[in-house]
Formats: sequence, C-alpha cells, structure tokens
Amino acid sequence: MKKLQTPITGTLRSFAVKPGDTITVGQEVAMVESMKMLIPVLADVDGRVTRLAKNPNDVVHEGETLAELE
Amino acid sequence: MSWNEELDELARRKRLAEQMGGAEKVKRQHDNNKLTVRERIERLLDVGSFHEVGATAGATQYDADGKLIAYRPSNQVVGHGAIDGRPVAIAGDDFTVRGGASDARILEKSMYPEKLAHDLRIPLIRLVDGTGGGGSVKDLDKLGYTYVPRVPGWDIIAENLALVPVVGLALGSVAGLGAARVAASHYALMVRSVSQIFTAGPPVVAHIGEQVTKEELGGADIHARNGTVDDEVASEDEAFARTRRFLSYLPRNVFELPARTESKDDPKRRIEALLTTVPRDTRRVYAMRPIVEAVVDGGSFFEIGKLWGRSVVTGLARLDGWPVAVIASDPYHYGGAWTKPSCEKMTRLIDLAQIFHLPIVHLVDVPGFLIGVEAEQASTIRYGVRAMTAIEQSTVPWCTIIVRKCFGVAGAANRPHNRLSLRYAWPSGEWGSLPFAGGIEAAYKAEIEASPDPAAARERILAKLNAVASPIRTAEPFSIEEIIDPRDTRALLCDFIRLAADLREAGMSHFTVRP
Repeated sequence: MKKLQTPITGTLRSFAVKPGDTITVGQEVAMVESMKMLIPVLADVDGRVTRLAKNPNDVVHEGETLAELE
Repeated sequence: MSWNEELDELARRKRLAEQMGGAEKVKRQHDNNKLTVRERIERLLDVGSFHEVGATAGATQYDADGKLIAYRPSNQVVGHGAIDGRPVAIAGDDFTVRGGASDARILEKSMYPEKLAHDLRIPLIRLVDGTGGGGSVKDLDKLGYTYVPRVPGWDIIAENLALVPVVGLALGSVAGLGAARVAASHYALMVRSVSQIFTAGPPVVAHIGEQVTKEELGGADIHARNGTVDDEVASEDEAFARTRRFLSYLPRNVFELPARTESKDDPKRRIEALLTTVPRDTRRVYAMRPIVEAVVDGGSFFEIGKLWGRSVVTGLARLDGWPVAVIASDPYHYGGAWTKPSCEKMTRLIDLAQIFHLPIVHLVDVPGFLIGVEAEQASTIRYGVRAMTAIEQSTVPWCTIIVRKCFGVAGAANRPHNRLSLRYAWPSGEWGSLPFAGGIEAAYKAEIEASPDPAAARERILAKLNAVASPIRTAEPFSIEEIIDPRDTRALLCDFIRLAADLREAGMSHFTVRP
C-alpha cells in the first residue's frame, strides 16, 4: 500500500482529492497550514486514492499519512 | 642478462589481482546490481587515466620451494587518475574480496589514498562498499588480546576536510568505519535500494531487540532524508556523474581558487517572469527552485540535499561563469522557516563555501525559526545559532536578496554582519522582529483588552501597522539598502560576482568543516 504523507507539521485545512481519484507526482492533494501560511502538499507518488486518513482541521505531524493509495 | 623473469612474475600477479575475489564473487556482485570496484573506477575517471598503486598487495602462500601457490588481493584498489583532466585520488573498496572485511585489508595501503590526497593536495573520492576496515571479533582470536579502539588515519581524514575536496560514495551495505568514511566527506551519496548505511547491521541490532531489514535500518529512505548523505541517486553511474559535477565547481585544493568557466548566458539577462512570481497574498506560497534556476547561468544549478532540511534549498551554481554557493528558502516547507535539519544543511554548505572560497548568494524568504512543540523538542535554536555562527564566521563574499519575508532572529541572519555585503530586496519584502499579525496581541494587549470592542481595536491597530509596512518606507532610514525590480536580479548578482571575484582569498580557512 502506498501512502501520501505530509512533509510538514501543521493543521490540515482541506483535501484537493477524494477516494477514487487518480493522482500523479507533483499534483496538489491537500492544503496544510503552517507558520500562518497555506502550504500545498504535492503528491510524491502516482496512484489512486483509496482512503483519506485525516479530516480537515486535524493537526498533522511531519511524516504522517494523509491518504492511502493503490 | 635481463629482469624479464621478475617482470613476468609481476605481470602474473597483476593478472591475479585483476580477477579480484574470483569469478563467483564477481558474479554475485553483479547479481546484486553492483559494479566491481574496477568497473567503478573505469566509469568514474577520464578514460585511461587511472594509475593503480599497490595492485599486487595481498595475502600469499608459498610452498616449501618458495613458489607462490595462493594469492588473495587486498580488498582495496587505490591510486590516482583524472576527472575532466584534473587529478584525483581514489580509494576503492573491493567487496568481492572477503566482503570488504578488515581481515583482507592492508592498513598501509588503505591509508595511501588519504595520504595521496593530503600530500599531493588533490581531491579524494572514496568508493565505499563493506565495513571499510573496521575491526572484527574474528581478529581477537588471531591476535590473542583485545585492544583499545582507534581509527587509523583519522587525523589525516579530518585534516583532508580542511585541505581538499572529499567525496564519499556508499555503493553497497556499509557499516562501522565504512559508514564513517562515507559521512566524513564534503559530499556523500548513496544508491537507492543498493546502498545501506549503518553503524551496526541487522544481525547486531537484533541483539537490542530490533528485527529489521538492511533497507529498514539504513536505506535511502532514512539516510538521504536525515542528512547522513547529501543525496540519493538511482544508479552508480548517476553517483559518478554527480561526483564529477560536484568537483567541477571546486578548486583542486584550498590553496587554489575555483576556476571561472566560459558562460554563454548574458549576465544582464532580464527575467520577465520574476515580476509575477511572488503572490501578493502573503499566505500563499510559490516555488523557489525556478527562481534560483532562472537567476544563475542557464543549467548551472547543482542542488545538494534535496530530500532533507527541505525548508532551504542549497547547492552550487555559476554566475557569469564563476562558481558560487546558493542558499534559498523554500516556502513549500514550513513557509521557509529555519528548522533543525535546514540549519544543519546550511551550516554544511557555508562551511564548504568557506573552505573552497565560493562566494555565497542567499535568497531569503524566512518567517523565522520554526515554532511549536516539535521544533522545541528538536532543539531548533541550538542548530539555528550554529548556522548563524557559520554565517558570521564566514569571510567569503556574500550577497543577499530578500525575496519576501525576513523575520526574527533567523531573518537577522540573512547576511554576515562582520563586514559590508551587498543586499537587495524585492518589492514583495516584508520584515521585522516578528510578523505583526502574530505580534499584535502581545504588544497591544492592554489596549485591545480595554476596548469595548476588542476585535475592532485589533483591526484598527492592524490597519495602522499595515500602512507603515511598505518596504519602500524601510528604505527611508536605509534599513534596506536597495529595493530592486525582481527582473534585474540576475544582472545584479552577476555584478556582485564581478566585484567579488577578486576578493576571494586562497588558503586555509580560519575555521574548518565539521562533518
């Protein structure tokens, strides 16, 4: 199972993808707020989203899984 | 009368040495997706340039008549050769002979390339594959006693870091001293899925209760992301290509200056796109790498450390042909805030630039040090002041471009304060001790709390502060020297390097690299 992880700690503001979506490397998949900035999380793997592992407004930590892919 | 008999014997032994650990071991090396040490050297160096030293050193057995009946080469191939016509020393581990283990190592020979680099003042490349000469429990049985550990030649290894460029390539599973020989370098690489680095391998860590694979213990997912090595590569050939490129920016040793190469890129080239790169909404990020790539000579940016310390981008580049070191904030990671690893990465690059006389270009978008519990737990400020001190101790020419934010103690380290250095800001610049959106509550606490409508009071204060926030006002008291048109950034950097090139001073730095 491939995972999409957040490279930064912050507050998850939104997802730009939903289960079933196919994503490619470099695509914006979520928005995390950190240091008062809105920072897009870009996909570092290709795949199809099977599950979102977090909810908007969750605090997410560097390296934590935001979504699972296949 | 001639000496042909001896020469024939020498040739025979060299042929034996060329077989390395034998056909079966060589096949196993290839099956593991690894090149042999001799193939590595051939691919790394200029064609035909390798001069091997000590090829016939090895373990021998003779019969009663003094005839050689068994021969095992030592597990290092050493010598010197050339990269782009410039001399380099090579220390190549041979994993096909006893898996690179210490019992097949000849100490004097293994130290030879370190001394060669040290005394001939030429760059050193270590091709590390195995334990690299550290001890083994097996040795004790042979010796009949234990010993207080020492790392033979560590004095020279440390001195070399202050004298000549040193590259450490992890080209297999490297453990113990092998891992140390990779890390004790100015530039270290590992090959994804092929290389692993650890102080002790899986069988040893099993004794502390960790059941892990080599990859889980010391693969690129760990060590290319924590700064043990600077970068991961996809193949050995990529490692060799990057090594050649890394060395192309550096002088042969600290007693020389980095050489200018011919540049076809117009030093006055205006970059239209930079006018619209930075969003007006300060909560929105933008990509820094395209800015770096646009302002330096076309195709000359060589990034170092892409996967760790990611809130800064570091690397080498050329401006009008002159080699420089580049540090640039990456807003995509913590808005460009200084983190513990990014401070380590900056310190490493500044030390490199200082040792080898590379002027430094700093593109700044720093909201400050990273804040929060995790940042405090990581001791961000300790590594932060280390980076700030490296900046302050540096004596190489320095040019700062403030692209957007420049806040707090980390922001103050946008340049060294020990001398005049050129500094420019884009009109998108915003700066201060702390961003006032976060500072209002603390600074105007009493005023806000006393107001019948605290929210309105806060907005009123914010509006008042916004009115004075224009960077153009900051230029009034000369707190920023010059606000520039972003499109002129390359021209100004090339102007900087033209002024600064003559200020570079060859010789040993007053401080040195701490790997």
